[in-house]
Amino acid sequence: MSAENAKPMITDIFVTGARKGWTIATTSTIPNVMMAFIIIKALMITGALAGIGKVFAPIMGLVGLPGEAAAVLMSAMMSMGGAVGVVMGLYEGGILGGEHIAILAPAIYLMGSIVQYMGRILGVVGTEGRLIPPMFVICIINAFVAMFIMNILV
Amino acid sequence: MNAQQDQKVTIGSLIALAFAVVFFSGLLQTNEWYGVFDFTTLNGGFGKVAASVADGAEGIRTAMSDFRGKGGSGAKDGFIFALTLVPTVMFAMGMIEVLQHFGALEAARKLLTPLLRPLLGISGDSGLAMIASLQSTDAGSSMTRGLIDEGKMTKEEGDVFTMFQFSAGAMIVNFFSSGAVLFTLMAADGTTPAVPASIGLCVAVMFVTKIFGANLMRIYLKVTSRKTTETEMTVAGGEA
Repeated sequence: MSAENAKPMITDIFVTGARKGWTIATTSTIPNVMMAFIIIKALMITGALAGIGKVFAPIMGLVGLPGEAAAVLMSAMMSMGGAVGVVMGLYEGGILGGEHIAILAPAIYLMGSIVQYMGRILGVVGTEGRLIPPMFVICIINAFVAMFIMNILV
Repeated sequence: MNAQQDQKVTIGSLIALAFAVVFFSGLLQTNEWYGVFDFTTLNGGFGKVAASVADGAEGIRTAMSDFRGKGGSGAKDGFIFALTLVPTVMFAMGMIEVLQHFGALEAARKLLTPLLRPLLGISGDSGLAMIASLQSTDAGSSMTRGLIDEGKMTKEEGDVFTMFQFSAGAMIVNFFSSGAVLFTLMAADGTTPAVPASIGLCVAVMFVTKIFGANLMRIYLKVTSRKTTETEMTVAGGEA
């Protein structure tokens, strides 16, 4: 056993990583994506999605996106995986196209999960309270800068 | 101070890093033999199942879809859709584990360390924490705390570095465990990818933007500290 540990086979290393992927997928991806689909369904039934689309159309239009893309960014702040689920839901509904997804992809992560990370990063490092609001704002600026760049590139 | 320099960066780890860049860049996405060096090509696609059969004027027509089917919604559709993401996540994480084993991240650390001062204004000692933060938010934040406590980083440097980590935290793991899936979407014709960008391009844009955001924080800290000394007042962070 110990000899194996000293020089693991490449296949074993791959399987270890794939197993980590399985854990992430089952404990994070699946619950988050499922939640996102429920939220989309709720937003669609109530007509809130169309409302979000109208309200945010001018801002999102600056980076070449329909207003509904704001729903992706809002859910990204809670969960990155959930936001990807929202993207998928909107793609199938014909609201987002391939180019829109390319524009959104980096932005989802740049302002992703910041609600959780307030505890997991800022809390752990011990960041001063006065710096937390600017850090949130910078994340959102980052997301828009990335969407702007992607809009030019794709 | 040099404890983190102990792990050797060899030619092998540089090759592993170069391979990682090519593998996820989408440059070799093709059906030719060299598609073997491309993530999306090897990731493949699901088989199709018959979604509906209709008897029309031209005979019986069968519409195909993937196993998720068509027309689902809500929690049930979300669950079955999430299942389609699992192989991509497992494949990506398996590859990252292998690339890491061959030192790809060590090579990245080596290449980034001399750039930390010019790009972020922070000490080269934070190279390891930076690479760790690309994979795990918790590892990155606790190492940053350690660097500040040990005095290897000033408080301001710590704030800038924290900003770097806060936007797109654990970028590599998070992106490959969910975002990579977006690049497996197929356009309506079923053969060409729907998203006209590569995984590599998105990772590069995120990395550049993270550095940009950290520099905004650097400017913010400079401006507010000047204000504080001028007026002897605490500046409320909420104004931004």
